[in-house]
Amino acid sequence: MQILVVEDDPDLRLFIENGLRRAGHVPHGVASAEHAVEDLGKQPFDAVILDRMLPGMTGLDLLRQWRKQGNHVPVLLLTALDGIDDRVEGLDAGADDHVGKPFALNELLSRLQAITRRAHAPGLDSRIEEGELVLDLLRRELRYKGRQVALQPREMRLLEELMRHSGASVTRAMLLERVWGFTFNPQTSIVETHISRLRSKLGDSGVPASIEAVRGIGYRLVMHG
Amino acid sequence: MARLLRSAAYRIALVYALGFAVATALLGLAVVLFAHAAFMHQLEAQIVEDSGALVAEYRLEGHEGLNFAIGEREAGNTTNELLYAVFAPDGRRIAGGLHARRPPNGWSDLDFHDTLEGPDVARAWAVDLDDGSRLVVGADRSVVGRVDRTLGGIFLAAFAIVLLLSLTGALLLGAYLRRRLAGISGAADRIMTGDINRRVPESGTGDEFDALARSLNQMLERITALLENLRQLSGDIAHDLRTPLARLRGHLEESLECGGDAAEQRERLSSALEQADRLLALFAAILRISEIEGGRRKASFQIIDLAEIARDIGDSYVPAVEEGGRTLRAEVPAGALVQGDPELLAQAIVNLLDNAQLHTPCGTAIRLCLETFDDRVRLTISDNGPGVPVEAHQAIFRRFMRLDRGRTVAGHGLGLNLVAAIVAMHEGQLEVEDNAPGLRIGFILPQAPHAVAATEGLQPGRGSVTKIAR
Repeated sequence: MQILVVEDDPDLRLFIENGLRRAGHVPHGVASAEHAVEDLGKQPFDAVILDRMLPGMTGLDLLRQWRKQGNHVPVLLLTALDGIDDRVEGLDAGADDHVGKPFALNELLSRLQAITRRAHAPGLDSRIEEGELVLDLLRRELRYKGRQVALQPREMRLLEELMRHSGASVTRAMLLERVWGFTFNPQTSIVETHISRLRSKLGDSGVPASIEAVRGIGYRLVMHG
Repeated sequence: MARLLRSAAYRIALVYALGFAVATALLGLAVVLFAHAAFMHQLEAQIVEDSGALVAEYRLEGHEGLNFAIGEREAGNTTNELLYAVFAPDGRRIAGGLHARRPPNGWSDLDFHDTLEGPDVARAWAVDLDDGSRLVVGADRSVVGRVDRTLGGIFLAAFAIVLLLSLTGALLLGAYLRRRLAGISGAADRIMTGDINRRVPESGTGDEFDALARSLNQMLERITALLENLRQLSGDIAHDLRTPLARLRGHLEESLECGGDAAEQRERLSSALEQADRLLALFAAILRISEIEGGRRKASFQIIDLAEIARDIGDSYVPAVEEGGRTLRAEVPAGALVQGDPELLAQAIVNLLDNAQLHTPCGTAIRLCLETFDDRVRLTISDNGPGVPVEAHQAIFRRFMRLDRGRTVAGHGLGLNLVAAIVAMHEGQLEVEDNAPGLRIGFILPQAPHAVAATEGLQPGRGSVTKIAR
C-alpha cells in the first residue's frame, strides 16, 4: 500500500518508514503538514499516518481540513502517551484510529491494516460471512452450515472483530478497546481466557477456523479449507 | 493625613463620618429654618388678632377706649409682649410706647427705639382707623432672633459632638480594619518568604474576616497538599524509575558484550524491550493519575449504571480468574445509577480485581459485591487470602506502595493509587476492612438522583453497556 507518513521527528519517521517497507508497503515520509497537503494532492495514498503535534499547522488541523474537503483517506493518528482527551478529540476530528506514542511497530501495522480494510469494506453490514460461517450481527447469532453455535455476547464481539480482520492480526490492545471498551491494560488475562473459550466452542462445533496467537502482536483468525 | 487617606480602611471610615456630619448639619439647618418660619407665622397671627381687638375697642369707645386698652397691655396685664403706637394723620405718635416713625399700611419691618436695648427692629402691622389715624401693633424681632440663636446653638453643639464622635469612630474603625487585614497580609508575607505552613489568624468571633481567613486557610491547605503530593511524586518517580532503567541499561550492555552469539543477544534485547515496556506502562499510569487528579475528565461525566459495568466486568473476569486458580463470584443486583465516567469506573473495578489476584495465593475465593443504601452505592471486592495488617490499610492507596518490597509480585505499585484518584474524582470514599480472613476493599459513591436519569431518558441497565463496549 502507498502510505503517507507525516511525522516531524526524523528518527521516528525513519523507524516507521522502515517498518512499513519490511511489511511490504511503500512509505512516503514528510516532515510537516504543509508538505503533506502538497503530496496528498499529487498522488492518491491508501492511508495516512499522521502525527497529532506538528510544527506550524497541527495534524488535527490538517485532518479537519481534509475531512471538510471531503477527503476520506484512512488516517491513523499518532498521539501523545497520556491523552485520554486527545483520543476523543482525534476521533472527533475524523481520525479512523490512533496509536499512542511510543508504540510497538506491530501495533501500528495492525491498526493500519484494520483501517484500510475498513475503508475498502464499509463495516456497517449486519452479516459477516467466511465460507459457511455466518455471523448475524442483528440477531446476535453465529451459524455454521446453518447450525447455530452458542456464544456468550463477549465471545460474539471478539469473533466479530477477528472476522472483520480475517487473515490479519489484531492486537490485544485493539481487542481490549473494541470488545471491552478498555483503553488501559488489565493485569488479568481476560483476552486470553475469552480467546481460548471461543477457540474451544468453535472447535466443538467443527468450525474449520483457528485463532492463531501471533507472538508479540495478538491474534489472527485463519479459515481452513 | 495624606498617609491616612491612602488607606482604604481610613478613607471609607472618614467619608462615612463626614457624610454623617453633613447630614446632621443639613438636618439642623432645616429645623432652624422651619422653626423660624413657624414662630414668625405665629407672631404675625398674634399681632393681627390683637390689632383686630384694638380696632374693635376703638369702634366701640373711640380713642379713649383705645388708649386705655393699649395702656392696659403695655402695663403688662396681658401675656403678650407686643408693642403699640397710634399715629395721627400728620405722623405724630398720639398713643402707645412704640418709639418709631409712622410706617405705611400693612406689614413692615420697623426701626424703633427700645427704652432698654436702644435701636431695634420690630415686625409691625399698621391699620388705619376711621378718623385717619393709624394703629400700629408690632413685636420685637429680637424675640424671634433669640429663639433662632438658641436652636442654632443647640444644633451647632450637636454637630460638633457628632463630628467629633464620628471622626473618632472613623479612626478606630480604620485602625481595626487595618489590624485585621494586617493579620492576613502578614500571613501571606510569611508564606511567600517560605513559611508554607503559616496560616491566617482567626479572631474567633466568626465574622466576615474569620470567614475569609477560613477560606484562605482551606485554600492554603489544598495547595500545601498538592505541593506535598507533587514533591512526593517526583521523589517516587526518581526512585522507582531507577530500578527498571538500571535493568534496561544492564540488558543492553550485556547484549553488546555477548559477542557473536545471536541467540543470546536476541534474548538480552527482548529482555531490554520488556523493561522499556514496563517503564512506559509506569509512565502511562502516572500520567493517567495526574490527568484524573487534574479533574479534566469531569466534564465528560454522565449518568451511568455502575451495576451494569460491574456485572459486565464480573462476567469477563470469572473465567479468567478461574483459569488463574482462584474463584470469583459476582453479586450485583440491578440498577445503581451514579454520575461518572464509565471507563474510569471500569478501570477502578478492574484494578481492584487485578489487585485481589496479584496478592493472594491460588485457591483464594474472591467476591465482587454491589449494594445500594441511603442514596449511595457501595462496591466491594473481598477475598479470603492473607489480608493486609490493619496498620497498613491506608498506606496501600499510596503511590508506589508495595507491602512486599521483594520483586516477586508484578505490578508497578500504582493500581490502588489510581483507584483512589478515580474515587476522589467521583466524590466517593474508599473503604478498607479486614475480611477476617482476607481483605475487603472498595468504594462508596453517591447515587445519581433518579429524577435526573428519568428526564434524560435513560433506563437503569441500558445505555451504559454500549458506552463501555465501544
